[in-house]
Amino acid sequence: MDDSSTTPKKGIERRDFIQGLATLPILGLFTLSWLNKIIHDRPKDVGLSKRAIPEDLSDINVAFLGTGEQGYILLNACLKLPGLKFKAVCDVWESYNQRRATQVLKKYKHEVNTYMDYREMLSEEKDLDAVIIATPDFWHADHTVACLEANLHVYCEKEMSNTLEGAHRMVEAARKTGKLLQIGHQRRSNPRYLHCYNNLIKDAGILGRITAVNGQWNRSVQSDIGWPKKYVIDSVTLKKFGYESMHQFRNWRWYKGLGGGPIVDLGSHQIDIFNWFLETQPKSVLASGGTDYYSKDTHEWYDTVLAIYEYETKQGIVRANYQTLTTNSSEGYFENFLGDQGTLHISESANRGGVYREPTAPQWDKWVSSGYLGAPAKVTPQSTTGAVLDVRETIGPDRHNIPVVFNDPYHLPHLENFFNAIRGLEKLNCPYDVGYETAVTVLKVNDAVEMARRLDFDPKEFRI
Amino acid sequence: MRADTKYSNWQLAALVALRVMIGWHFLYEGLTKLTTPQWSAASFLLESKWIFAGIFKGITENPPILSIVNVFNTWGLIFIGLGLIMGCLSRIATVAGMVLIGLYYLCNPPFTGLYYAIPSEGSYLIVNKNLIEIAALLVLHLFPTGHIIGLDRFFYKLRSK
Repeated sequence: MDDSSTTPKKGIERRDFIQGLATLPILGLFTLSWLNKIIHDRPKDVGLSKRAIPEDLSDINVAFLGTGEQGYILLNACLKLPGLKFKAVCDVWESYNQRRATQVLKKYKHEVNTYMDYREMLSEEKDLDAVIIATPDFWHADHTVACLEANLHVYCEKEMSNTLEGAHRMVEAARKTGKLLQIGHQRRSNPRYLHCYNNLIKDAGILGRITAVNGQWNRSVQSDIGWPKKYVIDSVTLKKFGYESMHQFRNWRWYKGLGGGPIVDLGSHQIDIFNWFLETQPKSVLASGGTDYYSKDTHEWYDTVLAIYEYETKQGIVRANYQTLTTNSSEGYFENFLGDQGTLHISESANRGGVYREPTAPQWDKWVSSGYLGAPAKVTPQSTTGAVLDVRETIGPDRHNIPVVFNDPYHLPHLENFFNAIRGLEKLNCPYDVGYETAVTVLKVNDAVEMARRLDFDPKEFRI
Repeated sequence: MRADTKYSNWQLAALVALRVMIGWHFLYEGLTKLTTPQWSAASFLLESKWIFAGIFKGITENPPILSIVNVFNTWGLIFIGLGLIMGCLSRIATVAGMVLIGLYYLCNPPFTGLYYAIPSEGSYLIVNKNLIEIAALLVLHLFPTGHIIGLDRFFYKLRSK
């Protein structure tokens, strides 16, 4: 630099302005780059981040049939939805379930009539539009059919029924009455699952050819649920509603004839996703399971079940294995879809999930730009031990977040879909025919365990 | 080093480029923290190892102090960044930058036997990018350029009258 630039002269000259302000354009460049990044990184609207707010909010009159643990969860989710009037609560446990439900509804200014017997509720309540059924599985068919025949739209918790005969009756009644019947496989309305199916699998084909699926729901050991002794139900009432004892009433999921065991209680949700994402039903299933840990006197259903399905999709054969343990909670619950270009790891648990690009697959930058995926991060750093299996060992895949945030109660969107369908604004995400297909898929696992052999599905089994 | 040091054109260009780039880095770090509502230094401080770990972790146990640290850190980065880019109070900016990054270095020094859960994008032993940035700021402090290319030129001229 010449001397004139550093040698002080009197007064500020033109040169001083040029050199003094020479780096200001850099600030302009910085601002432009920063704004560009902010705009680029802004969460993209992939059509699922916002729920439609119905314009027609005419009140729907709702009753709850079954307000035990699951019913209470649904009730609390319903309280977050606009345009609902709660009119009645029916539960056989008058002193506990029924009272808890009415208390919370009262807190939100809903005055409801209470019933122990659903038949009485249906004969007394003449202005109901819809009913939410969350009773034990063996009651689903009778309750659903009666409500449909009373001209009510029905949201029935999964499993559709503990028997195919029961599920069949539900389908027939829905068809005959023309009323809506939503089955409570709530992942079907979960925005994260919808994003994975509609955008990642169907639109982007991001996984390539799906070749395998695995899923699990492992739970810790659980003892008898128990009950507060002052709220015991008398034996006559218990017998009237199908239970031999208070113990059986509280732990109905353990008993054949009342529930379907862990494969139904837990697996049904996830095996439903297998069918949904693979867009077909399985060809066969083989399974192993048993009551290995608990006493067979109390646990008629298996505490451990491992099942392997074979699917024939448009792209080829897919083998899917599913495991449910009720003796150990390792890794919790998730579903993995494994394709030749990537892996989708998804769980209803809001903090879990990711998409992993196979090192040999094309880059996914365009899917990051379009908002389908979060930015990549390396899963496993390079080995620092120097130990190498052999030259064929592939490096770890990139991990991308699923960029759909879902912080609502898990059941809320599915209930909202049901009520919006009643208003004619949406189609049901899990209508009776889908629920029936899942029931066929899942209930056969218990048959395969019992018969200890591979069972084939006849495609006609899935249709009524 | 005296402020009237004479540089060749290439020397001046290289020093200004280094100053602007470090300033850019500071400014973007600061603005990112400012625009990330849930950002807090807590997770970084909780990872602290070595002899000063007690002090750094102690900050996280005192919410009012943590809030002050967050504000000072964020705005410190922004003002240092602006100072370096614009060549405004650039000698103060270089010292402040060295102190700030020095604190980062002392919070999580890459010494043998210290293991960090925060993923690191490289491999470091004693010397890491923080230490290198401190060294670069020291060079900028000893070879100042703000009075030639930068707003400091006006202060320099006015003071020299």
